[in-house]
Order: sequence, then structure tokens, then C-alpha cells
Amino acid sequence: MADDKIITPQKFIEELRRFQKGSVTRRHFLGVTGLGVATAVLGGAMPGLKPRKAYAALSGTVNLTTWPNYHNQENLDAFTKKTGVTINMNVFGSNEEMLAKLQAGSTGWDVFVPTNYTISTYKGLDLIEPLDLKLLPNYDVASQDQRFTSEGTIDGTVYAVPKNWGTTGFVINTKNVTQNPTSWKEFWDLTKGPLSGRVMVHDYQLTTIGNALKYFGYSFNSNDEKQLAEAEKLMLEAKPHLFAINSDYQPSMRNGDAWVSVAWTGDATQLHRDLPEIQYVLGKEGGEIWTDYFAIPKGAANKDAAYALIDWLLTPEINAKEVQAHGYPSTDARTNKLVSKEMLENPILYPAKDLLTNLEFGAAATLTNPLRAEIMARFKSA
Amino acid sequence: MTQTIVPDISFRAVSKRYGEVRAVDRVDLDLPKGSFVSLLGPSGCGKTTCLRMMAGFEQPSEGEVFIRGDNVTGVPAYKRPVNMVFQHYALFPHLNVADNVSYGLRQRSPKPPREAVAKAVDEALAMVRLQGYGQRRTWELSGGQQQRVALARALINRPAVLLLDEPLAALDRKLRHDMQIELQNLQRNVGITFLLVTHDQEEALSMSDRVCIMKDGRLVQTGTPRELYDEPVNGYVADFVGKSNFFAGIAGNARSGLIDVALADGMKATGRASRSTVSPEAGEAVLVSVRPEQIRLAAAETDLPNQVAFRTQAKVLNRIFLGEQTEYLVAHEKLGEFMVRSPRQGNQALAFEIGDRVAVGWPPDAALILAKD
Amino acid sequence: MPQLAPISRSKTVTALLVAPAGLFFFFLLVLPLIVVVIYSFGARADAGGYAPAFTLDNYANLPARGQAFFNTLTLAPLGTLLTALFAYPLAYFLAVKASPKSRTLLLVLVIVPFWTSQLLRYYAWIMILGSKGIPSWLAYLGISDLRIINTPWAVLIGAVYGFLPLMVLPIYVSLEKLDKRLLEASADLGANSWRSFLQVTLPLSLPGVATGSMLVFILLMGEYILPQLLGGGKVFFIGNALVDLFLQSRNWPFGAAVSTALVAIMFVTIVIYMRFVLSRGDVRRAALV
Ligand SMILES: Nc1ncnc2c1ncn2[C@@H]1O[C@H](COP(=O)(O)OP(=O)(O)OP(=O)(O)O)[C@@H](O)[C@H]1O
Ligand SMILES: [Mg+2]
Repeated sequence: MADDKIITPQKFIEELRRFQKGSVTRRHFLGVTGLGVATAVLGGAMPGLKPRKAYAALSGTVNLTTWPNYHNQENLDAFTKKTGVTINMNVFGSNEEMLAKLQAGSTGWDVFVPTNYTISTYKGLDLIEPLDLKLLPNYDVASQDQRFTSEGTIDGTVYAVPKNWGTTGFVINTKNVTQNPTSWKEFWDLTKGPLSGRVMVHDYQLTTIGNALKYFGYSFNSNDEKQLAEAEKLMLEAKPHLFAINSDYQPSMRNGDAWVSVAWTGDATQLHRDLPEIQYVLGKEGGEIWTDYFAIPKGAANKDAAYALIDWLLTPEINAKEVQAHGYPSTDARTNKLVSKEMLENPILYPAKDLLTNLEFGAAATLTNPLRAEIMARFKSA
Repeated sequence: MTQTIVPDISFRAVSKRYGEVRAVDRVDLDLPKGSFVSLLGPSGCGKTTCLRMMAGFEQPSEGEVFIRGDNVTGVPAYKRPVNMVFQHYALFPHLNVADNVSYGLRQRSPKPPREAVAKAVDEALAMVRLQGYGQRRTWELSGGQQQRVALARALINRPAVLLLDEPLAALDRKLRHDMQIELQNLQRNVGITFLLVTHDQEEALSMSDRVCIMKDGRLVQTGTPRELYDEPVNGYVADFVGKSNFFAGIAGNARSGLIDVALADGMKATGRASRSTVSPEAGEAVLVSVRPEQIRLAAAETDLPNQVAFRTQAKVLNRIFLGEQTEYLVAHEKLGEFMVRSPRQGNQALAFEIGDRVAVGWPPDAALILAKD
Repeated sequence: MPQLAPISRSKTVTALLVAPAGLFFFFLLVLPLIVVVIYSFGARADAGGYAPAFTLDNYANLPARGQAFFNTLTLAPLGTLLTALFAYPLAYFLAVKASPKSRTLLLVLVIVPFWTSQLLRYYAWIMILGSKGIPSWLAYLGISDLRIINTPWAVLIGAVYGFLPLMVLPIYVSLEKLDKRLLEASADLGANSWRSFLQVTLPLSLPGVATGSMLVFILLMGEYILPQLLGGGKVFFIGNALVDLFLQSRNWPFGAAVSTALVAIMFVTIVIYMRFVLSRGDVRRAALV
């Protein structure tokens, strides 16, 4: 019993290793990247302080801005070996941070990975390049699941090509949680009741407010003031019972501090792979479904390398290895053929059809609604 | 009822060792009530260590310390009724003059009432002639003024003994002289026993009732300045206290208080033993000590006064005019060079020229026959 | 030209000496601050960011972040105080009690944690304060169900841990140069060691405490990683509010107004504090001697 309760030195080191490898979720890096963005915001405000661009091309480096745990290192190494272009990977905490940094200007990025609902905003602000599909021979529109790819194309122009899709549900540690919740209603009720002090929600208004709205059966994307007020009330009631408000839920789930957390597909896959008692649940009222895309920011210095990298990662054989590593389902039928059967049958990646039908894609307005931002701020500071 | 006078501080066979170093070696010492005592000796001889054992900053390795008859060996500094004036004053920089001076009173329990403290501070400052300086910052004061604040800060406590560790060393010559007089007056007025550490023999001789001479951790001689000058126990003291000429020899027989000494090359001299110590045995190696002012000079041996028993010839090497006196350095072919001080004789200010051959000599009671150390 | 007056030459030299620092301050402090103040009167652009305007709305809206100001203004001084309470005995031990030989080693050990990433160290604390860390040991002592991680207490512990060296070093310096003879003088005048400490050591080391407190207080006021990691996102500082405003909701003008208010509060606090410290001229002087 004692061994079970107290963290052993080995475990401690393992946790640190995980962190060092970058095998952590988005919020982990808020600290580091947040600082970088803050500087960029000020720098962007003062033209004289903008860093020199274009040296990326000269040094044969491609700057990839993505999310943590989102690639197979073998694939990236193989790309470098093949092309001689080194990859400088930069991981981010949230879509807003990506947007904030691009808005501030002078990112030096060549490739980045925006989520579906942000692409129209980038286009509106003229921050991304239209893509020349001739330069992406391995991308095949026909083999894509159209459900997940429409938002990359605006007014007939392709601005982004899909990387993978995913859902937002919650993970539960069945060793400690016996209630077997299947809905967001149960999620919030358990939080306020028997699981007080054991539940985590994202530090992300889109999912946290969205899933609170689902408690009442409202749309995940609702911007209705009355409905939002109800969601806020629920969140404020739950706050004292939460273990944490943090999008970096893997460490707390792994060490047993947290028993339940709002989670994305890939994190759930990874947690379940290491700790089979951790299960993934999609609330039956619905919730979020999403697609992450590859895109090239306006003014990318090493465009040739950017196209080459995207094309490489979308090559089915390569993409299949990606999926195997990050645990998010691909949008490409050719890739799915190459993914292991075990994965294809994993309900975390491929939930039952009836569960998927209730899910909603996040909307651009959901992300940028100032009222939602204020509700989130009030929730966190309460 | 007989009343024995208890000394303010006594050392009984006190030693202090720092590893191999014996900083203080079996010292016995009594400071009589109300006296002004100096502890004199060269650098490193253990003066400060003695003082620190009295104050309680150090504890003796052996022996016992008494304050007014109470054995205080092992008692910490803050419980001892003695106070110290530090060489660099050690005034509290964050307190003004009045708060520095009242510091000792404020440590007492029960705390004395405010008005009483204020009154005592005024008195103490008046005593050191610093009336009205109470609100000043200590660093605004001159060196001499800081010195006096340190004195007031110690004296306000009415200690059994005031310990002063080279308090005047940092002052310039003129100020030092003024402070010497002031210290003496102060001591007379307050009647507290003062123990002054110094390596300045003039200061020790001019200020104190008694002087203790130390060497290598040991107390060599204690006495009044006059005793030390006239009756030193050995050559070390004679040399340390005033100037003297020394001639090495072998003691002969003593007769009626006088001792014959065989000097170099068969020369003979006669002198007396110091009253502070036992006469040297016959055959013992001794020093003949003669103070420069007791040596007589004359143009010819016949001109020397009658009582001058030892007579010889020497040559003037150098002379320094000192006003009332003239100091000659003369060379004797066997005894070597020595110093003579002659008083001015009439108008004849400078009786002898460099290179003159002169007659020199001294009466037997001017020559002290001393053990070498 | 050859007979350049000495005075103007020395002015040139002064100007050259001051120039690097002056330019540094102007471009990296004054200019950004001016930009921030200008932004604080602007409006949020539709897609986020800044749209030129002149409005006081952002300032009128400050009470919306009142709780964040309150959290910061209570936890930052409390954290500073706790850090000082922990740092002082340590600095005292290093400066007064430790043997000169071990002193250097111990000083290095105080600084060593700074060599690893701050993030990594806070992650270690997440585990130490988590339910399998200290609380599980306390459970053996009968104190069960104690939650430390993700509470203000965890943030305070992290603050003490993270900022200890910044507090220890200035206090150590002020204690180390304290004239030991002053303590002998105090003992000589009848004060036992505790009273000597209170009346001599402590007042004379206050400049070190003041310097350390200032450093720690300023850093804590702007802290956001610490509350995010050890407070589990439930302890919300102004720093966190700013991160959200600039990086999440991209409401730059409101963020600028909050920043301006934070800078103003810090400025006023520091001026009052410095006034108080400098007014104790005796202590300041003592620190220089
Ligand atoms: N704390 C100490 N540790 C080791 N040795 C010491 C210590 N204090 C003094 N000594 C040694 O003891 C001897 C006597 O020192 P002390 O300070 O008493 O001399 P002093 O007569 O006061 O000399 P000065 O006139 O130079 O002040 C010296 O050899 C000194 O080196
Ligand atoms: Mg000394």
C-alpha cells in the first residue's frame, strides 16, 4: 500500500523525463511560449524592434509551429535526412496564442497547425497563404473525409489541408470512479458531488464553456447571453470542487491526483495506452469535434521547404506512422488503410457513430466572442 | 572589624591558549580599587587577550578570574559589571549619540524610567564635555568626540572596572595628548578603576598609578612608573621603560649592597642590584644597565665628580641638541657605543665637538646589575 | 577645436557613459510603456488586437479584474513576508554560524536551483505537493485529506522556494559585513545574545531585507507561471489575467489598461516603501559603512 501512495524516486524521474521529451500537453508550454508571445506583441507594436527575418531560408531550416505530442520524431528525422532541411519545432498552448503571435507579426514560421474554426479568421486578417496543391502531390482531395476538410477551403481557395481530426470528451480513471458517467450532466454533477477535488477542466474557454452549455443541452457554440449566464453559474458552482483548471491534465491523471478530466482524443489514447484503467467518454449530449490543419503563414521565409514538409507528412505511409504515435485519427482514407487494426478498432479514436452525430464543430465566433472571454476570466479569478 | 580591601579584578594563574599559541601564560594580577593601571607590552604579547578575559569575551584555558571577589570564570560578558572602550569605538551606527550612551541602562531589568535614563545620559555627556550632542548621529562626530561618546557609553553603567584597549591609538598626536589628560581627570572624578592597554610606554608612565609590563604572554613586572624606571627586574623592563645602556658582564661578589661585575677585556664596574628582585649570584651572566642621563662627560678624567667610580675614555661620534640637554653618542673601544645625556652647563651649550676624546664615567648607584631577562 | 574645454569634454564622457543605459531604458522601458498607455485608451478590434480610439472604457472596466488585483495584492506581500521569514535564518546561518570553509559551498548550493529551468522545478513541486507527496506522508501522522496542490498555499510555498535565493543573498551580504565588534559592545553593555540580535543585528541587516523584499515583491506581482502551475489555474494573478487578455481573448486595450494599473500600483507601493526605508537614514548609512 505504501508504495502505491508515495511517489517513488523512479516515478519522479520518469515524470521529469516525460516533461523533457516534450511528451506533455499544450498548456505545459504556456509558461515558455507565453513569454515569447508577450515579447512579440510588444515587438510588433514597435516596428524598429522587429527581428530580422529570412535567415531561416539561408540556413536551410523549416520552422514548424505545432502542438505538443503531435508528431512522430522518426518521420521528422527522415525528412531532414532526405532533404537536408532541419526542422525547428515550436509547440504552442492554444489557438489564441497562435493567432496572437501571427497578429503581432514577424513569427518566422514556415508551417503551422491551426484548428478548423480559426482558418476563416486567419484568412480575414490576411495572415495565411493560399496553398498551391500542385506542390502537394501526396495530398489527395478525393481520399479525404469531406466532413473534416471543408473549413480549409474558403471561397474555392484552399488555405489549409487537414492533418487529423479529433474529439473533446473526458477521461476517467475507472479505478477510482465507479459511477460510470456517460454525459456532461453527470460530469458536472459528479464534480460538484462525490468527485469533489478530483476533476479537471481545460484552461480554454471554448471547451470549458462549451461543455458547461452541454449540461443544459444548449449548443456547444452558443453565444446566447442567457445561456452563457447559466453556464457561468454552473462553472462558478463547480469551481471550488475542481482539482485544477489546466489544459495540461496528463501529469495529474497519471499520478492519480485527478480522476476525471476534460480531454482530447490523442491525450486519451496516450493515457489509455499507459494506464488501461483510464477510459475516454464522449458526453451523450454532444460536444466538440474538430480538425487540425497544416497551413503556411503569409511571408513564410522558406516556402519551398514548407510545402515539402507538409507533403512529406501527408504521404500515407508517413502519416500512418504519425497516427500511430499521436493517437489522433487521420482524415485520409489511404492512411487509414495503413494504420494498425488495433488502432482502427479503438473507440477512443473512432467512437460509435451515434456518439459522433451529436458533436459540433467549434465556430469562429465561439473563439472570438468577448463575452465568453470575460466569463472565463471571472471563472478563473473567482 | 578588619576590612581587607578586595581588588576590583584579580587573575589567578590565568592562561589562554589558542592551539599551540600561549597568548597568556599563568598571569597573576590584582587591580586595586580606584586605581589607574596600564597594561604595557609589545605587539602580540597578550594584552588584548587579558582584557577580553576580563570583559568575558574569552574564557581562560586555565586559572580563575575574580571581579570584586566574585569568581566570574565562565560568566558571559553581558553578566559582568565591567565595561569596555573599544579601539575603534564600536559605536552603534543605527543609533544616535543619546541612544548609544543609554544602551547599557536600557538593557537592565526592570528597565529604569525614561526620565532617569535621560538624566543619566545628560550627566554622562556632560562628564565627557559633549552636552547637547544627544541627537547627533555618531558618524557626524570627530574621532575625539566619538571616543568620548564611547567613554560616556561605558561609564554611564558605573562599572567596577573600565577596560580601555588602546583607545587613543587612532587619534593624532595633539588630540591624543589632550585625551590623556582628560582620561586622567575623568578617572579621578569618577573614582572607577581604569585598566588601559597600550604599547606606548610614555603614555603608560605618564597616566597610570601602576603599570604592568607583559612579554610573550607573561607578566614581567608590576609597579609604579617610578619603580619600573628605577628598579626594573631585568634588562627587558629597563629597556622597555625609558632608554638605557647595557654592558654585558659576569657578576662577582656582592659587598655591602654593591656588586662587582667583570666587563669585557678585564674591565671592571660596580653597581647595585634592583630592589625589585634578588641579587644575581656570583658567576651569573648579567647586564650592567646605566641610564644615559646618569653618565657623566668631562674633558679629562680629573674633571669628573668624585663619586664617579667607573671612569674611562671614549670618542664623540654624534651629538643632538635637545635644548636643556644634549645627547651624545660616544664610542668606547671595548664597551662599544653608548648614549649619554648631559644637562646644559652654563653658557657652554655644546661642550664637546664630534671627534673629541672625552672622559666618561658613572657613580656605582647609577649602575643596575640585572639578570639578562 | 584643439582647445576643447575640459568641462565640455567631461560632459561628453558623461554622455557616452550614460548613453548605453539611457538608450536601453528609453527603448525597452519608456517607449513600450508609452505604447502600452496609448493602447489602454484604444478599443478592441473585431478579431482582437488594437483599434485606435480614445475611450476610458478600459479603465472603467478594471473592476472586472478586481479579484485578480485582490489575489495579487494579498498573495504577493504575503509571499514576500514568508520568503523573508525563511530566508533570514538561512542567511544568518550562512553569514554568522557557518564555517568560512563550508560557507562558499553552502552559498553555491543556495544558488544551484537557479541553474535548472524554473518550469522543471515547479513541476517537481507539483509532485511533491500532490496527493502522493507531502500529504501522503502527513496521512501517516493522522492528518488526512489535506490538499495543498492547487491552493493559494501551494503558490506561497512555490514563491518561498523560487525566490529564496533572491532574498537570501542581499540579507547575507548585509549580515556578513556587520561589524562583529558591535555585538561584543552590545554584550559588554549587558545585552544577552537574543537582545543583541534584536537591537543590533536585525536593524543593521534591514537594508538587506529591504532589498530582497523589493526584488521578490516586484517579481511576485508580475508572476503568472507560478499560480498557473502550483495554483492549478485556480489561483488567478494579474499576470494570468494579462496572459489571457493578450494571448487568449486578445483584448489588447483592456490588457494595456490592466498593465498600466499594475505598473501604477507597483510604482506607488515602491515609492512608499523606498520613502520608508530611505527615511531610516541611520540604517542606510549603517549599510554603507
Ligand atoms: N582568536 C585568536 N586565535 C588565535 N590566536 C590568537 C587569537 N587572539 C589572539 N591570538 C594570538 O595571541 C597572541 C596575543 O594576542 P593579543 O591580541 O592579546 O596581543 P596584543 O598584546 O593585544 O597585541 P597588539 O598590541 O598588537 O594588539 C598573539 O600571538 C595572537 O596572534
Ligand atoms: Mg591588542
